[in-house]
Amino acid sequence: MEESGKRRLTVAGTVAAGIVYFLVCAFPLQKELVLVPGWTRSLAQSPAAAAPKKVNAAGPTVSASASSPPIPFRLGGRFGYFTADGTILFTGAAPYGVALAPDAYATYERLSEGFAIQSPDGATLARVASVGYPFFAAGRRFVIAPDQATVSELSRSGAIAWTYEFGSVATCFDASPSMAVFGLMDGRIVGIGASGKVLLDFAPGGSHIPGVYGVAVSPDGLLVAAITGLDRQRLVVMEKRSSAYRVGYHRYLASDYRRPVYMGFTADGGKLAYESPSGVGVFDRTSRDETAISVPADSRLGLTTLDGRLLVLLSGSGEEKRLVCAALPDRRVVDLVLKAELAFVETRGDSIFLGADQDIVRMDLAER
Amino acid sequence: MNCGRLTVAAAVFVLLGASAAALDWPLSPPRVAATFGTYAKGRVVAGIALSSEDGIVRSAEDGELSFSLEDGANASGLPTPLGSYIVIEHQKGVAAIYSHLAPGTRSTALKIRAGDILGKSGSSGWIEGPGLVFQVFDRRAGSWVNPLLLLPQLAVDKPPVIRSLALSRADKVYVLGETASFPQGTYKVAVEVSVPADAAWTQGPPAPYGIRLSVDGDEAAYLVFDVARGEGGRLMLFSSAPVAADELRTKEGRYSLTERLFTRGRTAIEVRVEDAAGDKRSASWTVLVE
Repeated sequence: MEESGKRRLTVAGTVAAGIVYFLVCAFPLQKELVLVPGWTRSLAQSPAAAAPKKVNAAGPTVSASASSPPIPFRLGGRFGYFTADGTILFTGAAPYGVALAPDAYATYERLSEGFAIQSPDGATLARVASVGYPFFAAGRRFVIAPDQATVSELSRSGAIAWTYEFGSVATCFDASPSMAVFGLMDGRIVGIGASGKVLLDFAPGGSHIPGVYGVAVSPDGLLVAAITGLDRQRLVVMEKRSSAYRVGYHRYLASDYRRPVYMGFTADGGKLAYESPSGVGVFDRTSRDETAISVPADSRLGLTTLDGRLLVLLSGSGEEKRLVCAALPDRRVVDLVLKAELAFVETRGDSIFLGADQDIVRMDLAER
Repeated sequence: MNCGRLTVAAAVFVLLGASAAALDWPLSPPRVAATFGTYAKGRVVAGIALSSEDGIVRSAEDGELSFSLEDGANASGLPTPLGSYIVIEHQKGVAAIYSHLAPGTRSTALKIRAGDILGKSGSSGWIEGPGLVFQVFDRRAGSWVNPLLLLPQLAVDKPPVIRSLALSRADKVYVLGETASFPQGTYKVAVEVSVPADAAWTQGPPAPYGIRLSVDGDEAAYLVFDVARGEGGRLMLFSSAPVAADELRTKEGRYSLTERLFTRGRTAIEVRVEDAAGDKRSASWTVLVE
């Protein structure tokens, strides 16, 4: 009887301690990140490309409101603009290729000897008589010559601001407002400032065969990352210290890519994401830790970030694509398989815009 | 001959090794449409453009694939004017680029034997084709090398052609042959020459291998299309004095050779041109400098 009383006392004490613990040490449960469906728009009913309306060399003319700037998209040979509120500004077909930016686009022929730079509403901003293919990034406009070894930057009026001949074939590219970075077949990484001055010219060694398979520059231009070489392949991260770039981090990779790979910094520049055989490798700029998100896919179509919190990855080939939104390290918020031959993904703030063949879908990130 | 020129000559010699032909033709039988140094759309071609009946592209030597890209599939968003292309690492630090392949035909095999099929010549990217642009890069020297130095010699029955020689200063141009005299002074000397090509889509007259200028028996300039290298953001050709590729041609389409002072008296000017097969042609003028 005495034993049973002791046991009862112990149980009561434990329950009481538990109640005290929950009252005193209460900690709110973490909210779940979920994607809330927004709108769906069909490109089949969207307006066709507007004819050029006017010449305006001063700058872009955009019909969308400032609060909802145009978002460019490309689905195979088709391209266009839409806004976050679901307005399809137009869609068009590129004769061979198209350079796309939020404020301008330029379509070009295979044997391009010139092109017009147009605003999303179809107004002609500039005409460029330059042989080669245009490409736009980070608010800057470039042309690559037929030799794939010569690059020029265009001014806003379409004039050649500078030209640089690498002496080797350019294999990959990324840009920030302050520096355009090119990876070359000969293993060099060349960074060129907005004035045409060379800010970086470096050839990482350490591999049997030199070559650059991917480059990325942080939005502030202070970090440059590259995947270089064969036998063995390396990840190299360079940091700008005083006025020069120096290798701040490097690691041999398990990969053996012989084609350009996806890599890029997040919009806040805090993380570098890069394609790896097991999915996506993530390098943290502050801690210098590396993590990986495993995504079984044989090709990568798009890599972006959602408000700095999630990595958004669109992968797959053929008719099956996969959208993965993952919080680091590798906690999947969304893992969605979709049937689509052509697809794209874009993010703005807390919203994901997913294009699949004839449709564009908006989804918003929310906490519940 | 300066130090850079010696280095380049040594590099080419090493690449050649003991054999005169280090590589095999990637197309067979090859038709040469553009030679190393051909001026096309404002740029010098740092390779050769070829075509053939069947268009089957074969590896010029044993090697390892180091780069392979389908037209328009660059993950970084960089356009690819070379279209579908592959890069093979051959021996002795030689990398060869086989570009403008027909879509979907490029090989993805990693280990390559000489003669292996790499794809089909096509018209992907910026080429008037269909054809193949074949480029050789010497990784050790960081230079483009004229592939014709490394390939078996072609039987060429048409020697190079010297079309004209012109002296110019300010806006005055004297074309020798049309004029027998000109005032003394410093002139830019330029010559119009070409070697025959047998493909219709050549963008410009194919370049010869070498152009030698002599004045009164002394060598005044030697422009040779053997190697080219990027220096300070410009592609340089290594002639008797390094020359920027984009300054190589005058607006009239002549090759700029040198700038030289001509003093009063009778002067003998000779131009000798050779192609990669060793065929030579020369022309001479005797003029009166007033």
